[in-house]
Amino acid sequence: MNSDTKTRILVLDDETIVLKRLGPALEKAGYAVDLFSRSADALARVKEAPFDIVITDLKMEGLDGMQFLTKVKERSPQTEVIVITGFATMDTAKESFQKGVFDFLAKPFKLGEILETVKKAEKKIRPELAD
Amino acid sequence: MEHLTKMRRVLESLCDRGSRRAPVTFAALFHTFQRILELNNQILERIADMGDKLGGDYIFDGEYIRTSCLQMGNLVYELVYNFNILAPQKYPALDGVFHGIRHDIEEELAGRVVIPRTEYVIPYDIISGDFDDVVGGKNTHIGEIRNRLEMTVPEGFAITTRAFQSFLDHNRLHQPLEEILQAWQSNAVSTNEASQKIHAMIMAGTPAPAMARAIQKAVRQLQHKTRGRRLRLAVRSSAMGEDSEHSFAGQYRSFLNEAPSNLVARYKEVLASTFSASAMEYRRLKGFHAREVVMAVACQRMIEPAVSGVLYSLDPADPTREIMVISAAWGLGEPIMNGSAAADRFTVSREAPHQVQQRGVVPKLRQWTSLEGGGCEFQPVADALQNRPSLSDAQIRELAETALLIERYFKSPQDIEWAYDRQGRLVVLQARALNVASHMVPAVCDLAAVTERYPVVFAHQGIIVQNGIATGKVFIVQTDRDLEAFPNGAILVAKQTSPRYAKVARKAGGIITDAGTSTGHMAAIAREFRIPTIVNTAVATEKLAAGQAITLDAQENVVYAGRIKELCYFNYMEDTFEETYEYRLLRRVLKKITPLNLVDPHAKDFAPPACRSYHDITRFIHEKAVEVLAGLDYRHRLQDATAGKKLDLEIPLDLILIDIDGGLQEDGAGRTVTREQIRSIPMRAFLDGLCSPGVWSREPMSVDFTSFMSSLTRTFSSHLVDPQRVGQNLAVLSGNYANINLRLGYHFNMIDAYIGERVNDNYAYFRFMGGVTDPTRRSRRARLIRETLAQHDFNVDLRGDLVIGRIKKLGRPEMEAKMVLLGRLVGFTRQLDVKMSSDQKVDEFTEQFARLLTKEAVVHRLGRETP
Repeated sequence: MNSDTKTRILVLDDETIVLKRLGPALEKAGYAVDLFSRSADALARVKEAPFDIVITDLKMEGLDGMQFLTKVKERSPQTEVIVITGFATMDTAKESFQKGVFDFLAKPFKLGEILETVKKAEKKIRPELAD
Repeated sequence: MEHLTKMRRVLESLCDRGSRRAPVTFAALFHTFQRILELNNQILERIADMGDKLGGDYIFDGEYIRTSCLQMGNLVYELVYNFNILAPQKYPALDGVFHGIRHDIEEELAGRVVIPRTEYVIPYDIISGDFDDVVGGKNTHIGEIRNRLEMTVPEGFAITTRAFQSFLDHNRLHQPLEEILQAWQSNAVSTNEASQKIHAMIMAGTPAPAMARAIQKAVRQLQHKTRGRRLRLAVRSSAMGEDSEHSFAGQYRSFLNEAPSNLVARYKEVLASTFSASAMEYRRLKGFHAREVVMAVACQRMIEPAVSGVLYSLDPADPTREIMVISAAWGLGEPIMNGSAAADRFTVSREAPHQVQQRGVVPKLRQWTSLEGGGCEFQPVADALQNRPSLSDAQIRELAETALLIERYFKSPQDIEWAYDRQGRLVVLQARALNVASHMVPAVCDLAAVTERYPVVFAHQGIIVQNGIATGKVFIVQTDRDLEAFPNGAILVAKQTSPRYAKVARKAGGIITDAGTSTGHMAAIAREFRIPTIVNTAVATEKLAAGQAITLDAQENVVYAGRIKELCYFNYMEDTFEETYEYRLLRRVLKKITPLNLVDPHAKDFAPPACRSYHDITRFIHEKAVEVLAGLDYRHRLQDATAGKKLDLEIPLDLILIDIDGGLQEDGAGRTVTREQIRSIPMRAFLDGLCSPGVWSREPMSVDFTSFMSSLTRTFSSHLVDPQRVGQNLAVLSGNYANINLRLGYHFNMIDAYIGERVNDNYAYFRFMGGVTDPTRRSRRARLIRETLAQHDFNVDLRGDLVIGRIKKLGRPEMEAKMVLLGRLVGFTRQLDVKMSSDQKVDEFTEQFARLLTKEAVVHRLGRETP
């Protein structure tokens, strides 16, 4: 698969360990990946080009994850958002789903779990990839 | 609920009457004990859970580390609190130990690397693997190679991280250092400029007087060992983290052949090199925090090598070739490291007997040599030596064997600096992980095809405790004594998990057990040492033969026959995950949580002051809580017979039962109960054993003797023995618990057991003591009991006439079988001390008993096989 047809994923988390681990894993799985640790930078990138899938943390300095994903969804409703958070509560989960979030993963999670979730999201937006 | 309250009231009154001051009721104590078991379980699970995160399978963040540590601290706090209720004022030191560990963890979380408050200087002969935050990576490795692998290393000592801290404190360098680093981080000053400023600051400092004295003393001791010859020192860096996951090779300075009078100056140079421009850039690249930089220094006596060099235990250019690569040259080895002199190159097979495959002998015209007045220079090599191979085949073989030992011990391919001294002795100068990852990837692309060629011994049978791959020969451990002979690199196969395997943790390539859980003490050890481990396979000891070569794949949960080297190489690949700050932070906090130092409950230092981790505290409390509960004296509380019920049995045994919670069927208003009314799981199993046919000796005895025996086993004893000394046969029961106190014949048995559905809660504790016969007979009897228990997997402790057997963490059916065994053993040994008039009798009895047990075993097995 060349880079034009690769599914494009943006990951936003203010803890760099998450980026360090997710980045290579997603790339190995064949995705085109952009990594951000500051929500302002991520937002600027989203304004430049739409992404197929956005993976974001919730609790961050500045623009928090909920605000960020709201803006992403406003801009491009077809983008699937996966929330990853260490503070998983019923309320945040509910709010996320109300905003049209695709899935909600509580940290820590296994690499396999997020790859699985990403694959499901990918199938939803790009049914032609379904096997 | 109502009956429970009523029961408690009865018990309270019972207890109050029994002892004048009983502030806590037995029921309350028992509930406290159960809470301790629960907490023990939760803590071990959490230790496992946090350890799992290091395995590489999970994505976690700093928040996870902080919340986990907080919760863990709360659990251990509650454990200590409950234990203090159970054993008030018995171990007052525990509180302080707990708070100390929690404080250290909080410091680590706050980003302040906790530097242990140790000595300024530590000699090599007492350095072990736990010291790396004190003496740094290089010193730790040298210490372990010297003290654990028992190889020759240069004599020397470590100047510790505390000395580093003290140096910064004494010269008030923390603040200015921080400022310079911040300016550098925000690009206000260049790396070179920052580095030079720090260098000047450090070189202008002086060690505090106490530290200077400690160094002088260590030098004097070293001087003493050189027996009058002139002492020259090598002064090398030994940073935290150096030589382990990170290769700081060449980042820091080292000095050779220094006079002792130069030591402090050279020490400062090494400290300053921590902030060399290249080291600063390297750390920035790898995401190290400034505060993680902590330097210890190695001071070693210079040796005068005939030949020295470097060995790679795998060929970094082609790791799949199964060879080692050795570079060697005359004199000191430094030019080989920096490539400034020609060196011979040998390749040698990794397989014993280590055939030399290639000899690349080059002309060696000059050698690096120590000078009389200090320092080193190149000197010409004698003509006769220039073209001779610098190593003999025997030396190459010795090097290869040594390298494999070191590699297995540190669990990765090694880059080893070595030397042969003028007496022909091999000296290991340093060893660090060899980074072969970048060359590995293409070699292992099709693992599936490779593994298909090997037969599977069993797959998906157990629980993976620690990920990883190991190849090696099976070594079956049955008794503690087997551990003494454990070969390096073997795969430990055993029926049960045991924390005593910690003894061979460094040697074991892998661990496979029939029984056990992923949350036990041994599992924590396996994680700590990152030993690939699968437990609870049910079939390991049956399907694996001693000495068989196998591959343990504790990732896919498969055991293969034969050695699959490709899988091993795959495992050597460097994981960038281990280069993150969070990974290192988790590893550091886990060091205060996971390591188990209190392994042997019989050891003298099995006490609060020796607890260095949460795991230690947990283990200590678990062991002592069982002991406390088992040792409670219930007998005096029996004045009021309304509480206890007499057990109606087919054998003449007067036994009073106290039910504290669901141990007996509800209906009984009467004063006696039958076996059928007992609900307590361990009690039922015990009685099954005690009352099984042939156990309670029915052989004819003289009338006198029979009446004598029966009088002893009756509650209200005959005139023959003082009632005070007979005591009471008593059992305290709940649904899952039994504490059984029996005086039978001349001896006293105590059994304390808990059996439920959760494997980790289960245990049985058996104590056998007393006896009024002569010492010879007593020892015969104790021997018989010890051997029987040991054969049935109990951990046995024999002290004079006291035999203690412990077993725990088996599933309910296995635990029940152990209780049946204990019942039989108690019944059988009832009269032993009287009958065992000769050693021949011991053998007869042992045989007789073994026959009985075999019969039982056959029945048991048949019962299991037919559904």
